[in-house]
Amino acid sequence: MTPRFEDLIEGDVTGAERARLEQMHELLVAAGAPPELSPRLESGPTLAMTLSKPHKPFGRRIALLAATVAILAAAFLVGYLAGNRGGGLASARTLTLTGTHAAPSALASLQILPSDTSGNWPMKLAATGLPKLGHKWYYEVFLVRHGKVYAPCGTFIAKGGGRGVNVTLNAPYELEPGDSWIVTRQHWGGHTAGTVVLRPTT
Amino acid sequence: MELALETPHLRAVPAEPAPPPAVDASDSDLLVRVADRDRDAFELLYQRYVRSMFGLALRRLRDRQRAEDAVQETFAAVWRSAASYRPERGPAAPWLYAIARNAIVDRFRTQMDTTGEVPEIVAGDPGPADAAESSFVAWRVHRALEELPQREREVVELAYWSGFSQSEVAEYLHIPLGTVKTRTRSALARLADLLEGELT
Repeated sequence: MTPRFEDLIEGDVTGAERARLEQMHELLVAAGAPPELSPRLESGPTLAMTLSKPHKPFGRRIALLAATVAILAAAFLVGYLAGNRGGGLASARTLTLTGTHAAPSALASLQILPSDTSGNWPMKLAATGLPKLGHKWYYEVFLVRHGKVYAPCGTFIAKGGGRGVNVTLNAPYELEPGDSWIVTRQHWGGHTAGTVVLRPTT
Repeated sequence: MELALETPHLRAVPAEPAPPPAVDASDSDLLVRVADRDRDAFELLYQRYVRSMFGLALRRLRDRQRAEDAVQETFAAVWRSAASYRPERGPAAPWLYAIARNAIVDRFRTQMDTTGEVPEIVAGDPGPADAAESSFVAWRVHRALEELPQREREVVELAYWSGFSQSEVAEYLHIPLGTVKTRTRSALARLADLLEGELT
């Protein structure tokens, strides 16, 4: 039922001020109730939103193209040297992850262990500062390749309250130099990467 | 991001990270920061606009799932196109509205292409101009509501959209009736300040 303006604002408000408030009353009635957000929208922006490439002026595109060529050449050199040294991805490595706006106190290290003979890459995640999530929510680790979410690597939950998390996960994929990982907050039934809570330090 | 590969590698020296945006930063300031790939600014902008964008999409598409998709696309477009926003040409809200409207229209066309359904126009429904006008009004009002202090917003929501009388609002919130009236008046005055020159 739409409220009557006269019931909301008493008679001591008069003249231009009363007309001004009444106009807002009419706008509120016309606008109707704002919608309830779904958990998906309520959880904040997703990584997918920020993966699309920004529109750049044409002149900058040429400069970017030149820079990309240079970076690719450097990456090739690094990969070539890594391959010839026989090390590369066979050795363990550790990433440091820091909390995003969604979990500013969080900090984690992700240790990628050498693969087994079947091609599984076990990894150990040690995280602190991740808040306890509500019912039907959980955390998920994603492999990121070329700036895009590539594949999931496992899920976990956190108790919060200053207690850390130590979990063993797995990447059953062929890893490449430059691969990285993020941790997101997920809701049951979600099919895409949710809000990023931990990302690699730059 | 640095991987501890036991190989020589080039490493870019990261720039000094920008401090997080102030909570009361203007929408224009946030958009300028988003153009510089500032994720904190993007999250703040998202929090400010997600409800009004969802409302806009829901009005037009009348389907929650499609409306959600349109909102996701809208924010992806904001991230992509923020560099094209020029603060000197005007405030951010109409720019964001245009981005949202385009994403919704795209989603609407997709809906028609895939289902072949032509929206039924019922006599008495507002025409396109009126519909656009009412959509923009709702968009701005919902956005302005996000700016109200929580204690003022809740009396507005209870009175306007929950069907509560002023006495019922007082009882529900355990506050005197006079406080409900004071907060309602304050909320309307604050909305008038926020929307001055835009809708009036």
